[in-house]
Amino acid sequence: MREIWAIFYRNFLNFSRDRMRVILTFAMSLFLLFVFSFVMKSSMTEMIKSPMNYLISGIIIMTVFQTALNNSTSILEDISSGFMKEIIISPISRWRISVGQILSSSVIAIIQGILVLVMGLFFGLSVDFPTFLELIGIMAVVGATFSSMGLFLATVAKSSSTFQTMATVLVMPLTFLSGAYIPTTILPKFLMPIIYINPLTYVTSVFRYVTMKMWNVPTAQLIKEGVAFNVHGFIIMPQLGFLFIILMGFLFFGLSVRKFSKADFSTIRVLKLKH
Amino acid sequence: MNENIIEVESLTKKYGDFKAVDDISFTVKEGEIFSLLGPNGAGKSTTINVLCTILNKTSGKLIINGYDVMKQKEKVRHCIGIVFQETTLDSKLTVEENLKFHCDFYKVPRSEVSERIDSVLDLVDLKDRKKSPVGSLSGGTKRRVEIARGLVHSPKILFLDEPTAGLDPQTRTNVWDYILKLQRQSGTTIFLTTHYMDEAEISSNVSIIDHGKIVALGTPNDLKARFTKIKWKMKSSNPEGTIDYLNRNAFPFERRENEFTISVSKTDMILKAILDLKKDILDFEVTKGSLNDVFLSVTGRDIRES
Repeated sequence: MREIWAIFYRNFLNFSRDRMRVILTFAMSLFLLFVFSFVMKSSMTEMIKSPMNYLISGIIIMTVFQTALNNSTSILEDISSGFMKEIIISPISRWRISVGQILSSSVIAIIQGILVLVMGLFFGLSVDFPTFLELIGIMAVVGATFSSMGLFLATVAKSSSTFQTMATVLVMPLTFLSGAYIPTTILPKFLMPIIYINPLTYVTSVFRYVTMKMWNVPTAQLIKEGVAFNVHGFIIMPQLGFLFIILMGFLFFGLSVRKFSKADFSTIRVLKLKH
Repeated sequence: MNENIIEVESLTKKYGDFKAVDDISFTVKEGEIFSLLGPNGAGKSTTINVLCTILNKTSGKLIINGYDVMKQKEKVRHCIGIVFQETTLDSKLTVEENLKFHCDFYKVPRSEVSERIDSVLDLVDLKDRKKSPVGSLSGGTKRRVEIARGLVHSPKILFLDEPTAGLDPQTRTNVWDYILKLQRQSGTTIFLTTHYMDEAEISSNVSIIDHGKIVALGTPNDLKARFTKIKWKMKSSNPEGTIDYLNRNAFPFERRENEFTISVSKTDMILKAILDLKKDILDFEVTKGSLNDVFLSVTGRDIRES
C-alpha cells in the first residue's frame, strides 16, 4: 500500500505544482461554455428545458474524461525524463505501479471536474449535496475507466508523439459526437451508429441525467433531449449506459495492468536532456 | 569482508545476433570498489543493466548477495542502489521529496526516513539544498543527489554507471571524493563503470572489457605490472658513452639527440643504471605505466581513439 500511496502522492504533487494546467482547464471550459451557450440558447430552447445546465453538465464530464486520458502522458514524460527507470528498478511490483498511476490520474480528473462544476455554479447550475456526491461517484467511474484506457494506450504507444496522435484522432470526434456540447438529436442520421457505439455518449448521458435530476422525466422526453436512446426500438436508458461504462472500466483496468506488467521499458531510449 | 557479494559466471547478452556481452566471468568481494573499464560500446552498460535486473541475460549465472538475479529480482532490487548515466530524478520535486519517495519505494522504516535523508545528504555535502527543486540544480549537483538517493535505503552494493560522464574535471574529482568517503565510512560495495582509465585507480579491482569480452582483470598495480613497462627518460651529457652502457646492459632504448627513453619492467634496474651513469645524467624522469597504457597494451589501441 505504501508504494501505491507514494506513486499516487508523487503524481498528485506534480499536478498541484502545475498551475498552468488548472488555469488552462478553466479557460477551455469557459471558452466552450461561451461558444456553445449561443448554440443552445438560439436553437434548443423548445427541445431542451434548461439548456445551460444541459451544456455545463456536458462540459464537466468531458473535462473529467479528457483529464483522465491525458494524465497518461505523464507516464510518457516519466519515461523520457528517466524517472520511470527509478520506479522500474525499485522493488515495487509492476501491478502496484499501474494501480498507483490509475488512482492518481482518476483523482486528478475528479478534482478538475469539481473545479469546473464549481465554476458552473456561477452560471446558474444548481446542485444539492446528495446529487453532488452522486456526481463524484460518476466522475470516479469515468476517471478510472479512461485513466485505465489512457495507461493502456500509453504503454502500447510508448512514445509521446504516437500517443498524442492517437489521442487527437480519437478524442476530438468522439467528444463532439457524444452530445456533450451539441445534442446528439440534432446530428444527421448517418452519424447515429457512431453515436451509439461511442462510450462518451453514455458517459455524458448518465452525468446529465443525475445533474438535472431527470428521474421523473418520461422516457419519450429523455430520448428527445438525447439522454436516453432509441436504437431501432431498443431503449438505452442512462443506467444501462453507465453499466456499460463500468464494464468497460474493468476491461481496460485489467488490460492496462497486464500490459504495463509485461512492458519492456528498458528498450526505450531515454532522451538526454540538454541544458 | 572477503565474501563474494557478486558472482558472474559465463554471462552472455545477445541482441539478435550481436553479442553485446560475450561469456564474461568475475567476482566482486564485499566492501571493495570494483571497476569495469572499457571504451564506449564495449558492453559496460549492458553488463550493469543485466546485474541491476533491468535487462534479462541470454545465458550464464548471476548471483548478487546470495540471490539469483533472474529468479529473485525483487530481493536483488532491495539490496542494490543504482546511479545511472542519465538523470532519473523528478525535476519538479525537491531534493528531499525525491529521496522521500525513494524511501517509500524501498520500504525504509518510516521512523528512520528523515534521519537517513539527512545523513546521505551530509555525505554529499548537500544538506543545505534539501528544499531546492531538482530542476534548479546543476548537472554535478544532480549527480550527487542521485548518489545520495542510491544510498538512502542502505544498499549492500551501489552501482554507478559512468558516474563522472559529462561532468567538468573539478566536479569529477569531487564525485570521486564522495565515492571514496562513502566506501570508507559505510563499507558499501561499489561497482562502477567508466571510460576514464585514470579514474579507475581508486578501485580495489579492475576489469577491462572490450568488444563484450573481459580482456584483463586484477588490481590496478597488478595490471600495470603485468601489462606496462616503466619509462625512464634521461638527458645525457655524454650520448656516446650512454649508448655504449645501455647496449652493454641490454636495455631497450630510443634516442633523440641527447635524450633517451628506456623501457624497463622493474624500478631497481633503473636505480643501478642511474648510479653507474651518475656523472653523465643532466636530467631524468621515471614514469610508471597508467591504466590507459594497460588498455593500450591489452587491446592494441588507445581508449580515446576507440
